[in-house]
Amino acid sequence: MRRVLLWASATIGAATLVTFPYWTAEWESSRFATTVLRDILVFAIFALSLDLLVGRAGMPSLGHAAFFGAGAYAAGVATQRLGTDQLPLTLGAAAFVAAALALLIGTLVVRSEGIFFLMLTLAFAQIVFAIAFQWTSVTGGSNGLAGIARPFLGGIDLNPPERMYVLVSATFLAVVLLLRAVAGSPYGRVLVGIRENERRMRALGYDTARIRLSAFVLAGSIAGIAGALSAYSLRFVSAQDVGIGTSIRAFVMVLVGGAGTLAGPVIGAAVVLYVERILSSAVPVAETVLGLLFVAFVLLARQGIVGIGGAAWARMRR
Amino acid sequence: MGSDAPLIEVHELSRSFGGIRALDSVSFAVQSGERRAVIGPNGAGKTTLFNVLTGEIAPSGGSVRVAGDDITRLRPWQRARRGIARMYQRNELFAPLAARENVALAVSARAGPYRFVGTPSPAESAFADELLTRVGLAGREGVPARALSHGERRQLELAVALAQNPRVLLLDEPTAGMSPAETARITELIAGLDRTLTIVIVEHDMDVVFRLADRVSVLHEGRVIADGTAADVRGDTRVNEVYLGKVVVR
Repeated sequence: MRRVLLWASATIGAATLVTFPYWTAEWESSRFATTVLRDILVFAIFALSLDLLVGRAGMPSLGHAAFFGAGAYAAGVATQRLGTDQLPLTLGAAAFVAAALALLIGTLVVRSEGIFFLMLTLAFAQIVFAIAFQWTSVTGGSNGLAGIARPFLGGIDLNPPERMYVLVSATFLAVVLLLRAVAGSPYGRVLVGIRENERRMRALGYDTARIRLSAFVLAGSIAGIAGALSAYSLRFVSAQDVGIGTSIRAFVMVLVGGAGTLAGPVIGAAVVLYVERILSSAVPVAETVLGLLFVAFVLLARQGIVGIGGAAWARMRR
Repeated sequence: MGSDAPLIEVHELSRSFGGIRALDSVSFAVQSGERRAVIGPNGAGKTTLFNVLTGEIAPSGGSVRVAGDDITRLRPWQRARRGIARMYQRNELFAPLAARENVALAVSARAGPYRFVGTPSPAESAFADELLTRVGLAGREGVPARALSHGERRQLELAVALAQNPRVLLLDEPTAGMSPAETARITELIAGLDRTLTIVIVEHDMDVVFRLADRVSVLHEGRVIADGTAADVRGDTRVNEVYLGKVVVR
């Protein structure tokens, strides 16, 4: 009974989320709210993919934007240069290019741990950034790729903002379901084992370097999908998408929301984008507040908002 | 390969750390099903020997063969796949995971890590619970490893090693830090393990050594200074000088 109720409410919640632009159509700020929510969901996908590494497998990557950006460029280039506007092709290209890049970088970094892993991922992402910035004939260099056409799904034009939103929110739900399944699967438990004690995992017969690489590629391809959705949404890709700022934003989202949980990165994405998009126009020092908030979470609440909420809930029930 | 060829053959194994020779041309052979104790004073090279046997440390010379195959260059996970399991001296567990999950991770290594869908199988959990009962942790299956007492963690450490279903079991001071009652319990447990299992045990408690071991190798400053039956070693003057004498007086 409890299970049925949970599933029913999850389904209703999902339907409410996906149809947001339709049932808010009468609102004065529907357009704006849809745009903000769309961008939150794009970044939530990106942050969720990073959390697979940071929270689940214990691999703190500071270069995750390389794959977000690779996906964005791949979708943009596929649309503009190869002249295809079919969603499966451009989104598939984004996931594939990001996965290939993650395989390349991952092979070189997965044997390192902790701060060295952090620095190596950062360094490789900076190399990708330099390539994106200078390879003008493909990436547009400092101008980026502007005016990217939104894709078609078969005969359905995804250009109208509400349809674009539906694409993003449906993809978001698919990613949540996928990562939820992974977290509960034997593979997810193996990742936790590697996070907690890689030495023991090796002694048990697990090829941990290869397993870490598989997680890196999986996370990279999901980040690439987020990048493609960003390219469609904004109709623009810039070198900033590959830059350290984008990597750090995702990291802040994961840590503020709560690493190692599904809700955490999503809440983190909402908080960061709320501060950036809404609070910053009302309060001039909003971004500074965000920085301080991050420091406070790292120092005082490692479990993030989800952890604080969970502790409060446990106290209330006692 | 003859049927009486040793299961483990260690040939002139050496390893130095800086100027210190932790292992100095160590050779010995362990028969299939044998219980072999390795004793010696602190710093004799016992744990280094285990680290070289499991592949966590590369030797600077020499070779290790298991069942006739040279495994000297294999990685730790490959050696584990060939049936070498280890109980660590300092517990190497998955602290936030329940005791059952700790054991289940060892059990499921055989099925492989790349199972992205479905939940861990109930059979794995059932087998894990069975092992936990065997080592004396019945009723503690759901307790996180970090919340177990020291003695219980040693028991869990043994259950994890057994869960690998190994043919070679390396026990690094299995009774370290245990109460006399716990020591007696775990000693009997090890004594009762199947004779298809070959066991190498590093231990300071001589009662445990003489209870369990068929043969004893004595390490001193990285060298094997005696190798024989428990009775032989007990009567060896040199062994008494460097090691046993000190312990017995204690």
